[in-house]
Amino acid sequence: MRVSLWRKSAIAVLSVAIVNMGFMSTASAAIVDTSALVTTARDADLSAIRAQLDREDVRAQMQELGVDAAAVDARLASLSDSELRQLANDMKNAPAGGDVLGLLGAVFLVLLVLELVGVIDIFKKVP
Amino acid sequence: MVFAKHAARVVACFAFALVSACATRGPLVPANLTDGSSKPSAELSSTPFFPQTEYQCGPAALATVLGASGVPSNPEALVPLVYIPERRGSLQIEMQAVPRKFGRLAYVLSPNLDAILAEVSAGRPVLVLHNYGVPLFPRWHYAVVIGYDSAKDTIVLRSGVTERQVLSARNFMRAWDNGKRWAMVVLRPGETPVHADAERYLEVAASFERGATPADARSAFDAAIRRWPDQPVAWIGRGTAEYRTGNLRAAAKDYAEALRIDASNVGARNNFAMTLLELGCPVQAREELSRIDSTALGAELRAAVVDTRQRVDLASEAHAGGDPPGCSALLN
Repeated sequence: MRVSLWRKSAIAVLSVAIVNMGFMSTASAAIVDTSALVTTARDADLSAIRAQLDREDVRAQMQELGVDAAAVDARLASLSDSELRQLANDMKNAPAGGDVLGLLGAVFLVLLVLELVGVIDIFKKVP
Repeated sequence: MVFAKHAARVVACFAFALVSACATRGPLVPANLTDGSSKPSAELSSTPFFPQTEYQCGPAALATVLGASGVPSNPEALVPLVYIPERRGSLQIEMQAVPRKFGRLAYVLSPNLDAILAEVSAGRPVLVLHNYGVPLFPRWHYAVVIGYDSAKDTIVLRSGVTERQVLSARNFMRAWDNGKRWAMVVLRPGETPVHADAERYLEVAASFERGATPADARSAFDAAIRRWPDQPVAWIGRGTAEYRTGNLRAAAKDYAEALRIDASNVGARNNFAMTLLELGCPVQAREELSRIDSTALGAELRAAVVDTRQRVDLASEAHAGGDPPGCSALLN
């Protein structure tokens, strides 16, 4: 009688512990992120395989393009899988908004040379 | 100096002349915007201004829109996050991703001037990509629309080193057309754009969710529910935010609503089952899981369902007596 009571309470304590262990360790692992629900099943499979490759690819390209190695990780961390995909695809050709002054300088030089060699005559003195 | 200014003007004209082939006629800033929500003119003059340093219009423009959305920032702090030295510029994808780091959502507007003006009218400046180059020699530039005047047909921007640049709507449209009409607005959690597409907003909110606090994620999806109550993903998103805050009953309600709209939504059912389990209702949870057909699921979803099943089975064994009486109320 004493043994079985002991066993009963041990089983009760252990089962509570096991259930709680399941809950506490990674309680939210079984909850699906909403981002997994806005892509189709096929996309999700592909991105699971590709995301890591894309990440490495983008990391390499960023370093090649002069981004400080220490900053690369923080930048990668904020990108979603589909954003990584797009960057991996055309990081070197996608529009990179910079500046209009560079163009003005280049065109100005061309015009200046043309002016100096006498092909055009646009830089007149303001009267 | 006078010479340089004059030359710059000549050069600017030259650049515009080259890209003006597809210029349209008539006023471009609509005097009466379609839905009547936009004013005839507006200018957000309190928008911060950061004169750009060489090539760094991306960080400057981003600091401008972040500042306007209540995130104090400056270009120097953003350079390490968006600037790419060898490209001498910043990419759109990264411009979209960075606001998330500061608890803001970046939404790319539909490619219409109306969408930009409606945002400005609602008090949000809009980041745009311009192209002042020619097809073979593009010159990309970020600027921020802070105002417009339909009587004068003008657009006002913070751009480069110019605090208040006034462009004719036509010149604005030329540069914007050549930049493929890309425009982005930064939203506080809880705001939705004036002209918004439900699916696109929910994608933005879902990417935002990963790094956001549950409270911010809740606000973002709550706004979606108010605007598009028939979108299951909006309810799922808010449910998950509730779950992560520990409000399990509120989470169960939201997941149940998502399932009422779309009974085949596996994500909603999985999350609902998980929530029921944590509410101490393993029998109901198992019942929900039994309705999932896991044959055609993506990897992430399938793994989650398998995981939930294991937890539910484990709990059911330890809990053989059936669910407590309160559980059935959670199903409605």
